[in-house]
Amino acid sequence: MAEVVLEKVMKKFGDFVAVKGIDLKVDDGAFTVLVGPSGCGKTTTLRMIAGLEEVTSGEVKIGEKVVNRVPPKDRDIAMVFQNYALYPHMDVYNNMAFGLKLRKIPKKEIEERVHAAASLLGIEGKLKSKPRELSGGQRQRVAVGRAIVRNPKVFLFDEPLSNLDAKLRVQMRTELEQLHHKLQTTTVYVTHDQVEAMTLGSKIAVMRDGVIHQYASPQETYDHPSNQFVAGFIGSPAMNFLPARATLSNGNLILTGEGFTITLPSNGRIDTVPEQVVLGIRPEDLTGPVSEGENLLQVKVKVTEPLGNELLVYADCGGEQVVANLDPHQHVEIDSTIKLSPNLNTLHLFDKESEATLL
Amino acid sequence: MHLTRDRIIAFAVLLPSLILIAVFVYGFIGQTVYISFTDWGRGAALALHPQMNLIGFDNYKELFTSFLHGRFRQDLINAFFYTMSLVLGSLSLGLFLAILLDREPRGEGIFRTIFLYPMSLSFVVTGTIWRWLLAPGGGINVLPTFVGLPAGHFRWTSSRGQILTFDWQSIPEITAIVVALVLLFLTIRTWRTGKHKRAFAVAVPALILVLWALFGGRMVPQMLPIPEKHGFNLATIGVSLAAIWQFSGYTMALYLAGLRGIPVGLHEAARLDGANDIQYYMRVAFPILKPITLSAVIILAHISLKMFALIFAMAGPDNASTGHPAVLMYLTTFRGNKFALGASIAVILFLLVALFIIPYLVSSYREQRRRAS
Amino acid sequence: MTAKLTWARVLLYATLIVVAAIYLMPIYMTVITALKDPADINLDTAWQLPSHLNWGSFSQAYAKLGPNIVNSIILAVTATLLSSLLGSLNGYVFSKWSFRGNDLVFTLLLFGMFIPYQIILIPLFQTLRAMHLYGGLPGLILAHVVYGLPITTLIFRNFYAQIPSSLTESAQIDGAGFFKLYLRVIFPLSIPGFVVTFIWQFTQIWNEFLWGITLTKYNANPITVGLAQLAGGQAVSWNLPMAGSIIAAIPVLIIYILMGRYFIRGLLAGSVKG
Repeated sequence: MAEVVLEKVMKKFGDFVAVKGIDLKVDDGAFTVLVGPSGCGKTTTLRMIAGLEEVTSGEVKIGEKVVNRVPPKDRDIAMVFQNYALYPHMDVYNNMAFGLKLRKIPKKEIEERVHAAASLLGIEGKLKSKPRELSGGQRQRVAVGRAIVRNPKVFLFDEPLSNLDAKLRVQMRTELEQLHHKLQTTTVYVTHDQVEAMTLGSKIAVMRDGVIHQYASPQETYDHPSNQFVAGFIGSPAMNFLPARATLSNGNLILTGEGFTITLPSNGRIDTVPEQVVLGIRPEDLTGPVSEGENLLQVKVKVTEPLGNELLVYADCGGEQVVANLDPHQHVEIDSTIKLSPNLNTLHLFDKESEATLL
Repeated sequence: MHLTRDRIIAFAVLLPSLILIAVFVYGFIGQTVYISFTDWGRGAALALHPQMNLIGFDNYKELFTSFLHGRFRQDLINAFFYTMSLVLGSLSLGLFLAILLDREPRGEGIFRTIFLYPMSLSFVVTGTIWRWLLAPGGGINVLPTFVGLPAGHFRWTSSRGQILTFDWQSIPEITAIVVALVLLFLTIRTWRTGKHKRAFAVAVPALILVLWALFGGRMVPQMLPIPEKHGFNLATIGVSLAAIWQFSGYTMALYLAGLRGIPVGLHEAARLDGANDIQYYMRVAFPILKPITLSAVIILAHISLKMFALIFAMAGPDNASTGHPAVLMYLTTFRGNKFALGASIAVILFLLVALFIIPYLVSSYREQRRRAS
Repeated sequence: MTAKLTWARVLLYATLIVVAAIYLMPIYMTVITALKDPADINLDTAWQLPSHLNWGSFSQAYAKLGPNIVNSIILAVTATLLSSLLGSLNGYVFSKWSFRGNDLVFTLLLFGMFIPYQIILIPLFQTLRAMHLYGGLPGLILAHVVYGLPITTLIFRNFYAQIPSSLTESAQIDGAGFFKLYLRVIFPLSIPGFVVTFIWQFTQIWNEFLWGITLTKYNANPITVGLAQLAGGQAVSWNLPMAGSIIAAIPVLIIYILMGRYFIRGLLAGSVKG
């Protein structure tokens, strides 16, 4: 068991800076998810922790020891790859035993550990099979099993579920969660899927362009995103963004845009505002349609998606697309103009220029 | 990359091979170039430490201008024709066969084997067999009699016939005209794409070259004391036929792999777009196969410059009409013991091959770099 | 696709059969000539089947070529094994342990495959003579191993490039170093690569002529040189060279017919580079 700490870690590929000096501390036993769009540097970060990529500058520490110059095999980590990386010429047993054999662990102990891991993952019946005879989910389990038997200080996962179909992905997600609960091993997990990040991580690091934009618990990143990028990336369907003009008057913040005028009591939370702002409203914070009232959004309905438990309405608000997650027990006419009421307590406000969170 | 232990081991494993290649390829090339500037081969050439004096470019000068070395110059011209016929013959035949097999006929595997088996044979075997097939009074020459035609009388490998003759002295003018024609072609193409200024920039040197060829050529000092006729030796046709027989299967395999590599959807999409088969091959398949054509040209041109064994077995090394610089190099060096002169021929042959290979390797190197980044 | 018998289809088969006949014609001539009595070989009847089968030419040709065949077998087997093994290790380094200047070094190595061998022939002759290897098989083996390195390295590098790097990285995390990774993971996966290089190198070395004739003395002459000498004398009747050609061609033809698939892969590796 160990914590993983990155200090000012930077990675350059030629002139391209893939990771721009990030700091990250993964507590002992924690499950941290690195999430972000492709090319954000999350996989590079993981590979630097594994020792598969050299760190250009900065320090990587595992269990308080700087490991920048330690080869992967001596870092006491195990990694699960996106394509599983199972040795095609070895059966499942040998795939799982390979790392232990190379470490000269007694044969008897290897057997015990492999069988224990196999039963934990429910692949005991497959120990004699070759990887090509297994289904996607089974391969995935072998890859995880190979990591478990090593009993490493740290688990590293590189998009392990992205090659599975949607249903299996949800199932494996749950299994990974239970596994972590049981083993309590420090884990760093990379994914581009924010739902996976939210459900698995005790903390998630949202990355873009080689920078960590926010590192917090899933709920925190949802409730209090540090900037417009995080706000848009976390949550599904994504947060609606509406450009607005802001003015402060008599302690009230007045936001005007095409199709809405919203007056917020600022309650001293805010002293100055830039003139150009972006209003952020999560789809689930919109209710309606309402007929009359203050602080409403006037929108034109384009598409509706009744999903049974919810009704997604895609509408146009002054040229911007707005998604609303409404009560499904009603009918919304396409091409009709309706009014929606945002929850004023959970409104988000961003500086249009810097994308920083204002409110 | 930091130097881990494994990295050092990896490099150490590679090192012997790198040293061998450095010495046996690059070192030896340098050594041959050096030898070509000496007079090794005067007397006692086979002594372990033969006498060698540096004489500069004399060997090259001799090869290109001496009255005694007319065979070398004819061999160069032969090499040009060998290359042209092998490349054009194998490419067109190979492509034709590939398109036939791409239609997925029954027994495709058998046909493919039949077209490709000559490729597995040695040049010496091919040469021996074809020497018999092309025997002047028999083999292919008697084939027409089976359909009631008179027998052929062409003396395949020993014919002295020559067409397209020209004077060696006019090589500069001919080169100028050829380059001018290429430039003219480029001019027309550039003009059509609308880049008129650039077309003009290409047209001017073309015009200058033509004018020089017509009026200025005579100002070049004469290389030889008397005019020397060279041309296309008819005897080379037989050798080229054997070579095409041997290598057209190879281009077929390349093209077939290329055609099969084109996603099925593309052919179907082209059909839905209204293309018939001919249009599909012309407009869709060929452009995709361009890189294959390029590498096939490179490989074939390279093979044709190495046709030593085929000519040796088919026409004998001493047959002047089918001569090739590679054969002459062997004769000069190992029969005549004129090592320096042989080295010069080798260098010229090498430069001709390098002309094809280096741009090819440079482009494939660039491509690798691009893919790596 | 169900092939309907349309006119286009008939034309396709007719063309294929005619072309195939032309490609097979030389083999036909070779076989019938080899089986004829020397006295029956006559230019006018060259195309006719032998009146009776005379297998004697084969034993006669074999008597002359026997030592050459032994030489060629020793040469081809040794040089093939050595150059394939080295090529495999080199390909492993190039594809899985890339270093700075990797591509440039590889391209420089590859160049050795494209040179006309005349350009290195004289120094090779000098060097082998200085090493007291001139004239015998060891010198020829050395030449074939060294100049085989570019193609074998290329084949293996391209082959190993298909092994996902996550597999080697995973083995590294599992604790495998350079050699363990090669022996336990890469080598067991290399069999198809070895088949391709074995076939390619064997046929190339078996068929090689230039070095055979310039670097070996009579005792060490490989089969191609033996055949050229058998066929070279003008007085010899044609049955003997034809039988000799068949003997010389048989080993590679068998390999080719049995393993043509891999042979084609070798061909492709030598030209379309990845």
